[in-house]
Amino acid sequence: MRNPKVQKVLVIGLDCATPQFVFGPGGFDLPNLEGLAERGCWGRLESCHPPITVPAWTSMLSGKDPGTLGFYGFRNRKDHSYDGLFTANATAIREPRVWDILSRHGKKSVVVGVPQTYPPKPLNGWLTAGFLAPSDAADLTYPRALRTEIEGAVGPYMLDVAGFRTEEKDGLLERIYAFMENRFATARYLLETKAWDFAIMVEMGVDRLHHAFWKFCDPAHPKYEPGNRYEPVIREYYQAVDRQVGELLGLVGDDTAVLVVSDHGAKAMIGGLRVNQWLIDEGLLAVEDDLSAPKRIEDCTVDWGHTQAWSTGGYYARVFMNVAGREPNGTIPAERYEAARDELAGRIAAIPGPDGRPLGTKVCKPEEVYRTVRGVAPDLIVYFGDLEWRSVGTVGFDTIYTFDNDTGPDDANHDYHGILIMDDRTGRGGAEIEGAQLMDVAPTVLELMGVPVPDDMQGRAIR
Amino acid sequence: MDAATAIHITGASVPETTKALATRLIELGRPVEVIDSALAERIGGAAGANEVSGLLSRNGVVVLAVYDGAQPAGDTLAVEVDPNDTPDFAAEKILDLLDEAGVVDLESTEYTPAEEEQIRRRLADLGYVE
Repeated sequence: MRNPKVQKVLVIGLDCATPQFVFGPGGFDLPNLEGLAERGCWGRLESCHPPITVPAWTSMLSGKDPGTLGFYGFRNRKDHSYDGLFTANATAIREPRVWDILSRHGKKSVVVGVPQTYPPKPLNGWLTAGFLAPSDAADLTYPRALRTEIEGAVGPYMLDVAGFRTEEKDGLLERIYAFMENRFATARYLLETKAWDFAIMVEMGVDRLHHAFWKFCDPAHPKYEPGNRYEPVIREYYQAVDRQVGELLGLVGDDTAVLVVSDHGAKAMIGGLRVNQWLIDEGLLAVEDDLSAPKRIEDCTVDWGHTQAWSTGGYYARVFMNVAGREPNGTIPAERYEAARDELAGRIAAIPGPDGRPLGTKVCKPEEVYRTVRGVAPDLIVYFGDLEWRSVGTVGFDTIYTFDNDTGPDDANHDYHGILIMDDRTGRGGAEIEGAQLMDVAPTVLELMGVPVPDDMQGRAIR
Repeated sequence: MDAATAIHITGASVPETTKALATRLIELGRPVEVIDSALAERIGGAAGANEVSGLLSRNGVVVLAVYDGAQPAGDTLAVEVDPNDTPDFAAEKILDLLDEAGVVDLESTEYTPAEEEQIRRRLADLGYVE
């Protein structure tokens, strides 16, 4: 039952905040988050496929799955050519997000740093762009003049952490903290100075921290060294974030429902699997290049006439098949597509680990995990080692396994569950919520604000 | 609708919405003229304002007609501002209509090739792509 005294909703997004650190067992001491959970409810929040920042935040805030949204990661195929790609920024979003719907109902929103909000689109309220903005972009806010106002109040608006791939950890940690504090300061300023009904901010530093420092803090990580000087870094950072959350909570009254959410979790990354190298070794991908040295697949000359499949690298693999009549030089007859896809999925799932034992790889077909499949989806979505292994797209190696990231140090991969904490001012008394999913957040916010939930939202309001 | 047009704005917060819309149109590179009641009075009332509006519109100027009386004749977009909308938001809704009509191009903020490459490199640095 909705509390009629609730007039406003504040959503605090912590990108990649992971349940084990917040809820335990062995969770960190986070009094503000724990207080919220004890007054309201809490639980694991199932991410989407794939559990990656893009498309996850937009899935959460539109109430629709990535298939319906029509993008499946940061970089997507714009058509069935081999090189046509686009980055899914705000212009790729065709479905309304919470603040778009609230704008139509005369509600004013504050939106701070949410992924896929560049270039800023008009809303009934105030918006600062997420990290997909070019570094020298002039239009980082809506309205435009807001940028000058914010910079005058809290200093330059930070888009992300610079110099992320480095072994110089002290400096990196300082930059992550500065980024986090800048994001919260921006949110505090807007919450204090604007007449808002709905506010959301996303703090990206948790994600950056996990990738950069996981191995120092997780005894289960293969590269963990007991007693290392960075061992408390993740715990201390979560506690710093918790204090910032406390400051935000001090700005809202009993008429404000509060949600703390993350788009996915994190886990130790054991290594990387060179998916395109495996495809080459299996005779499914042919390149004309000399592969005596490592090379990005994008820089290779692919012999499409002798290629059946290729893949992208990243925290998961997107495998594309070369289908006759669909791709320009397709080799798989269209009538054999489903059989070939099943066969390929089976072979990928069966790739063993370096010790010869099963890796536990998960392989998804888009139509099995999405209600609709729009745009150009991968033929297969692959989570190597159930996300304990990264997908590496580079070729030119004599083994498909790597324990070093080709692009620099990275210790964590994403995990399937993020966090949900909600104090909707109904006195739930710390009840645990089970089975919540990203797409439930948008209808929950709308229902809390007394705004009708559109019929085409795929989530359900958490009650 | 031609690429030049007149927009007749009525409803709530007309002066504020008109100002916000004029600012955005200028940002988007379109010449704008606002004809309010005071100006209309000086150029012969509604009849004179209609004539001037039509002349300006035919010559590439976006006319924001906010004077009393009948809306300008000819190629005119009539908009009533929703009382729930802030002026900025109402202005953006009108811009959306103008975008659909081809009067302005709101897609001009997509990445340039150089920006696209900068973003790709940043995403690779962060580990999202390679």
